Order: sequence, then structure tokens, then C-alpha cells
Amino acid sequence: MAPSAMSGSSAHDDIDGTWSYLQDGITKIMLNLQDGVDLRTYMGIYTAVHNFCTSQKATGFTTPGNNTLGPGAAHRGGGYISVNTPHLLGEDLYKKLTDYLTDHLRGLLTESKAHTDEALLAFYIREWRRYTVAAKYIHHLFRYLNRHWVKREMDEGKKSIYDVYTLHLVRWRDVLFQEVSSKVMDAVLKLVEKQRNGETIEYNQIKQVVESFVSLGLDESDPTKTTLDVYRYHFERPFLEATTAFYKAESKQFVAENSVVEYMKKAEARLDEEEERVKIYLHPDIAVPLKKVCNQALIAEHSNILRDEFQVLLDNDREEDMARMYSLLSRIPDGLDPLRSKFEAHVRKAGLAAVAKVAADADKLEPKVYVDALLEIHTQYQGLVKRAFNDEAEFTRSLDNACREFVNRNEVCKSGSNKSPELLAKYTDILLRKSSTGVEETELENTLAQIMTVFKYIEDKDVFQKFYSRMLARRLVHSNSSSDDAETSMISKLKEACGFEYTNKLQRMFQDMQISKDLNTGFKEHMSSLGVKGLDSSYSILGTGFWPLTPPGTTFNPPQEIAADCERFSRFYRNKHEGRKLTWLWQLCKGEVKTNYIRNAKMPYTFQVSIYQMAVLLLFNDKEKNTYEEIASTTQLNSESLDPSLGILVKAKVVNVSPEGEKVGPGTAYTLNHDFKNKKFRVNLNVGMKSETKQEEVETNKTIEEDRKLLLQSAIVRIMKARKKMKHQQLVSECINQIRTRFVPKVADIKKCIEILLDKEYLERLDDDELGYLA
Amino acid sequence: MASDAKSQIVVLMSNENTPVEVDRAVAEKSILIKNLIEDLGVESVTGTPIPIPNVNDAVLRKVMEWCEKHRGDSQQSAEEENDSRKKTTEIDEWDQKFMQLDQEMLFEIILAANYLDIKALLDVGCKTVANMIKGKSPEEIRKTFNITNDFTPEEEEQIRRENEWAEDR
Repeated sequence: MAPSAMSGSSAHDDIDGTWSYLQDGITKIMLNLQDGVDLRTYMGIYTAVHNFCTSQKATGFTTPGNNTLGPGAAHRGGGYISVNTPHLLGEDLYKKLTDYLTDHLRGLLTESKAHTDEALLAFYIREWRRYTVAAKYIHHLFRYLNRHWVKREMDEGKKSIYDVYTLHLVRWRDVLFQEVSSKVMDAVLKLVEKQRNGETIEYNQIKQVVESFVSLGLDESDPTKTTLDVYRYHFERPFLEATTAFYKAESKQFVAENSVVEYMKKAEARLDEEEERVKIYLHPDIAVPLKKVCNQALIAEHSNILRDEFQVLLDNDREEDMARMYSLLSRIPDGLDPLRSKFEAHVRKAGLAAVAKVAADADKLEPKVYVDALLEIHTQYQGLVKRAFNDEAEFTRSLDNACREFVNRNEVCKSGSNKSPELLAKYTDILLRKSSTGVEETELENTLAQIMTVFKYIEDKDVFQKFYSRMLARRLVHSNSSSDDAETSMISKLKEACGFEYTNKLQRMFQDMQISKDLNTGFKEHMSSLGVKGLDSSYSILGTGFWPLTPPGTTFNPPQEIAADCERFSRFYRNKHEGRKLTWLWQLCKGEVKTNYIRNAKMPYTFQVSIYQMAVLLLFNDKEKNTYEEIASTTQLNSESLDPSLGILVKAKVVNVSPEGEKVGPGTAYTLNHDFKNKKFRVNLNVGMKSETKQEEVETNKTIEEDRKLLLQSAIVRIMKARKKMKHQQLVSECINQIRTRFVPKVADIKKCIEILLDKEYLERLDDDELGYLA
Repeated sequence: MASDAKSQIVVLMSNENTPVEVDRAVAEKSILIKNLIEDLGVESVTGTPIPIPNVNDAVLRKVMEWCEKHRGDSQQSAEEENDSRKKTTEIDEWDQKFMQLDQEMLFEIILAANYLDIKALLDVGCKTVANMIKGKSPEEIRKTFNITNDFTPEEEEQIRRENEWAEDR
């Protein structure tokens, strides 16, 4: 059974004998592996290598058949000092194998010269596969050499000794690959170019070339590792160069002959194609650099004409093409910046145009129309950012910048920068007020969310706050708010946007209303326990500091019926809360009176009236006719309050004026109209005068300036208290920083406020333009 | 393939031409056999005996007995093995009993393990020999392994001096 050439007693260390046996086997494996190797040959080669390496010269062990260990000299040398172990036999074999491989590969090199292009590729791949399969066999068959001699050499740090498989690769690389790689690469590139031009190719060949090149990346310093260096130099580099050249030429021609939009489609398709190419037959390592050169050749080289087209696309709402441009330019560094600034300018212009369209008559501008105009532009372009620009943060910022511009500085705001927050607050008021056209709760919530979108852009948030709190007060006092939930929701939205402080007063107003409700219940119980039957009355206690309300602008002498009840409530309240001062806000009071004097009425009419009107009407219980002067002196109302109240009664024909048709004023007299007629049995006479609200607006605007000064001063004091000392310039910029969330302060105003604080001796001037804080 | 490997039988043919049948998984404890089956394919060894020209019948059976016992052992990674192997001469109980053989058989097994590339068995064999040397004087070692002392007294003295540092005091 033993292999004939190697059997029995023949000298195991005869290198020539051994090698000639091995060479036959190796050649068979190298060239005719497809015919198979039989077990006997396999074991024979292995055994020959083993026996050669373990022959007498090499080892202290005896050959099989010798019973005892260490017959004499051989043992003596090997036994007693390990560092002197004689070299393991194997070098001769290794050298022979190396020479054999070199010869084999030289032969292949000569053969390769007969082939070019695809034939060369096929040749290279065929030989590479045959060679590497054989290498694996030979590696196994020479395992004994690997385990002992090669291992020892490598452990001793010898360079250029490799395990047998690696030796095969090194030889391939040094003998064949160095010579043919550039020709193989040429063939690969020709094939790829064919494919880029639309032909079908046998890309498996390229895939195998890549695998071969990668396999040859041996790390000389650490044989267990591989590197991509060989592949990168011999494959990646020429591949990238060819790609750049191809796309430079192609895109140049395409751009010259087609529209920009067409070119973008082409470039997009090409980029996808290249990505696909990497997946199908290239090494993943090339993905990034390939993308880079494609981006350079296809996009960066043409970025200017792309960008020039952007405005055209914007003007024509070509969303899909913009998305395409975005995705192309996002691939190159700084590619999108010019788009962003163009986009910002475009949105601003669109916003200004939209406002200009509705601003024809600024004074009569409906808040809803204005806010809708702002929102429409925002919604339109936010949609564009989402759909075409990947909802990217930078584009959102451009959108925000543009919106902030056209919300705060537009045609409508020309008359005063407070116009935007004012109109927005008014619109909110309209939404939150009870109205005949009931709004769905979810719809209302959506609209409020939109309000907040605009609110975010408002610079003068303090103005909004002012108007909002006034209108909220009105809604609460007149209890015509559409729903508590909606009010709460709005306040919490504002709180989220601007912080606790911003909505503090608004929340307190709500609390006051709640407390008042409980208080009224308590009062009613108190009254019934005393057995007093008063009016069906309800009181609201509004904290002076939180409500934007002013005491009545007139003296007033409430009618007896009311005064008694008010007096009882005052006592009740003082009992509960000692030391609090109650101020009656008569101008906000209202009530209902029932008529019993009207002829031909099937049912008694009920008038909803202000307390002033009630005082006037109650006078007619005692007297059929009252002169203006009598009314004025009994009610103690001044003419600013009395005239409009009377005016409405006259206009509604509740009272008749004499002389007939005379304007309300001194010298007139009034009688009840017993023939009063109305479609409704409840008649609302408590209608605010137009001029009243107008006046309120003016007042609100006036207080804003005052409040801003206070806000600035408190900010300055806060900063100085924390810092103690500060340069003037620093203080100003810090102050702007802190105030910016409310409004945009002017530097001159800040300086003025610093002067005021210096005068008041909160601050002092120090050397070197520094200010100090005086506690 | 892995699940098949357990049930397949391969035949090893010693240099005395006596076949030894073992499970493929057992035979593959030998890296030589494992690589052979990997390279030539399992078909080439089904029904055809694998010649093992360097090992006689008795030794091959003994080696396969050991492989059978250790068929389930996990293959340690090369580095781990190196470390633990260097540090200890401990041998597990079964292996100790297994290695209670006459010297000739012991050395034959070591040679066969080296040839067949069965690292764990090679280690156990070498450790066994190492334990036979451990704690013995040179004279006792010579006796154990039947070695003639061919040093001159001068040579012996020099060696002793050079190795003084290693003496157990």
C-alpha cells in the first residue's frame, strides 16, 4: 500500500528523489486536476513531504521500526540544549516548490501574450482559478512543511517565507500579475465602457478579476492579514480614472444638446447605474470613491448651469424637477447653499406679493384674510421643503428666515410694525369667540395650530400678548368664549412657545374666573341661610395685576335695586378676605330687565342691557318722562358714558326722545315707548360702540411702548445684578439677546433705558466704559 | 455535510493492509484526513480505503480509539491551545490510563499523531513523556529511556555549571 517511490527503506532525505516524485504529483494537480487525484497519490505526496521533513538529519526521533529513543549521536545533539535544535529539514523542498511555481507562471506569462481584450480576460480568469484551486491542494499536501519548517522560519521572523498557499499568491503576483495586470485592466475597462454604452457584457469576468486582485493584497508585515493595496493601485485607480474621463466627455456633450431638466434625469440615471454596478460586480471598497468621481464629473462640473435653472423651476412650481436637483446637488459639498438662498429670496417675494394683494385697504383688512394669506405661502413652501427638499433642516431655516421677513415687514406693516401681531391676535379672538357659525373642535384645534405657525415668526410677541390678553379678558368677562378647552389649548401653546412668564397673567385670569364661580355659589348659600332674597346676580373678582382692565371713566350711582345686592356681596367678600379693596368696573357690568308696560305684547320683552342702560331704564319705574339733566344727575354718569347708552335706547326705539329727532344731549327729554315692537322677545341692547373698540386699539398700542421700556429696564437690572460689572457694549448685546423672544429692541432704546437707570442710581458709571450695579 | 459526517463510515488502511472502520467524524480528528476528504470529496473515500502508509495496524487502532473517545471535544483556537499547552503538564484521567503503555507503543503513537496531524493527541503523548522525565536525576532518566552516558566527566561538569541556575534547591 505504501507509495512505491517513497516506501520502505529508501532515503527520506534524498531531495532529488523526493522532489521528482513530488513534482509529478504537483504537475498533475496544477494542470489536470479535473481528472481527479486518487487517494494513493494524495497520501503519497503528503507522506513524502512528511518523511522528508522527519528524516534522520532533521529530527531526534528515530524512524519507525526502531524501538528505543536516542541511539547515540543524533540524540546527543538534539537533546540537551533546546536553542541549539538543528534546523528542521524543509528549506530544500520550499525552494524547489518556489522554483517550480516560478517556472509554471513564466510559462503562463508567455502564453498570455497571445491574447488580448476579452480573450485575455478569459485566459487570466481561467488560469487564476486553476492555479488557486491547485494552491489549496498543495497547501494541504505540504501541511507538514507548513506546520514545522515554515512555522519555525516565520516564528524566527524571517521575511519572505510564507505558508504554502500564500507562497502561491506571492509568486503569482510577482511573476505573472506584475506583467499582465495593466493589460487585464485595459480589457476590463473596455468591457465596462461597452456596458456604459448600453451593450450587454459578461460581467462575471470582471467580478472574478476583482476577486483575484483583492486576493493578491498580502500584508507583508502580518501574513494573517490582507490589505486592499494591490487592488486599489491596480484596479480601483485606473477604474476611477476611466470613469471620470467617460462621464466628463458624455456629460459635456449631453448638456450641449439637451435641456437642463433632461440632463438631470440623465445624471440621476447614471448615478444609480454606477451604484448598481458596484453591487453587481465590483468590490464594495470602490463604492465611496466611485460615487465621488461620478459626483464630480456629473454634478460638480455642471453645478452652475443646474443652479441657474433653479429659479426657473421655482417660478413654474416644478416640484419633481426641484427634488431631482436637490438630490443631485446634495451629493456634492456646498452644493445646496446657493439653492437655499435663492429659495429664501423667492419665498420672501411670494409672501410680500400675497400680502400686497390683500392689503389694498389696510384699515378694513379682515384679520382672517390677512392671516390666511400668510399661511398660504407658508404652507405652500413648507410642502415644497417636505416633498422636494427632503424636509431638510437647512431649507426649513431658509423658509423660516423668509417667513419672518414677510410676516414682520410687509405692505400691511408699513403703517406700524405692530400690525401683524395685532391682526393675528384679532383673528384668534374671532376663532375663540362664541359665534353663530359653530366650528368643529378638531378644525378649531388645527386652525389654532396654524395661528401658532404664524406666531412663531412674529417678532413683536409682546404686542400679540397685549392684544391677546385684552381680548381674552373681554371673552371671559362677557362669557362669550367658545370653549374652555380651546382657550386652555391656546394658552398652553403660547406657553410652550414663549415660556411660563409669557402666559402667567393669562392663566391667572382663568383662575380668577374659576374662583369667582365658587365665590358666587358661596354667596348664594350665604344669602339663603340669611333668608334674604336678593337679585339673581353673579360677580367676578378680577385681580388688578393680571387683568388689562381700567376703572370706569365716569362716576356712577347704581340704582337702588343693584346697590343693595352689591353692598351685601361686598360685605360677604370682605368677611372672607380682609383688607382687600374692591373696585367696581361698572363699564363691564350688564344685566337683564323684563318689561311689563308694553301694549300689544303677547309676552313681556326682556332687554339685555349694560348696567348704565339699566340705571337709565329703571328711572322710568318712578316717572314717565325724564330729562337728560335729570338722568345725568341721578345716575351720575358723565356724558361720554351716558350719551352712547342713551343713544342705543333711542335708536332701538325703547325710549322716545323729544324734541323728536334731536341728538342725545342736554335739553332733551325721554319717555318710554309703550308701542315697542321687536321680532324677538329678548332684545340685546348692550352693543359695543365701534368707536369704543377703535379707541381700545389705540390705547393698547400706546401702552406697548411704555411696557417695553419697563421690560428693557428690568432686563438690564437682571443682567447687571448677575454680572455686577459690565462693558456698555456687552450689556447692550446681552440685553438684545434676552429680549429678543418678545420683541426686537432698538439699541437707542436700550441706551435710553440705561440712562434712566443711571439717573435712578441702580447703575453707576465706572472707568473704561464700564457700568456697575448698585444694590 | 456536517450532519452527514457523523453517520458516514470511512476505512483506513494501515501499512499492514488491515482495514480499520471508523466514523468519518472520528477520522477527521486527523487534519490530514479532514483535508483529504475536503479536497477529494467524500465520494472518493466511500467504499475505498484510505492508505495510511506510515502507521501499522496496532498503532492505528490505538490512535482511533483515542479519537473515538475525544470525538466530541471542541477544537480550541490555535492561540488558546498554545497558551494552555505551554503552562501545564496535567493530563486528564482517561488519557493517563490510555497512555499507560510500553515505551515503544507510546513513541509510535506520538509519531503517528504527528504524522496524522492530531494535535491534541500529540500534546498528550509529549506530556506523558515529559512527566516521565520530571523530577528525575540524569542517571534515572538514562535508565528510564535506556540511554548510554557518553559524556566525559569534564563535559558533564561544564554542563552542570552552565545549568546551575535551574537546579532545584
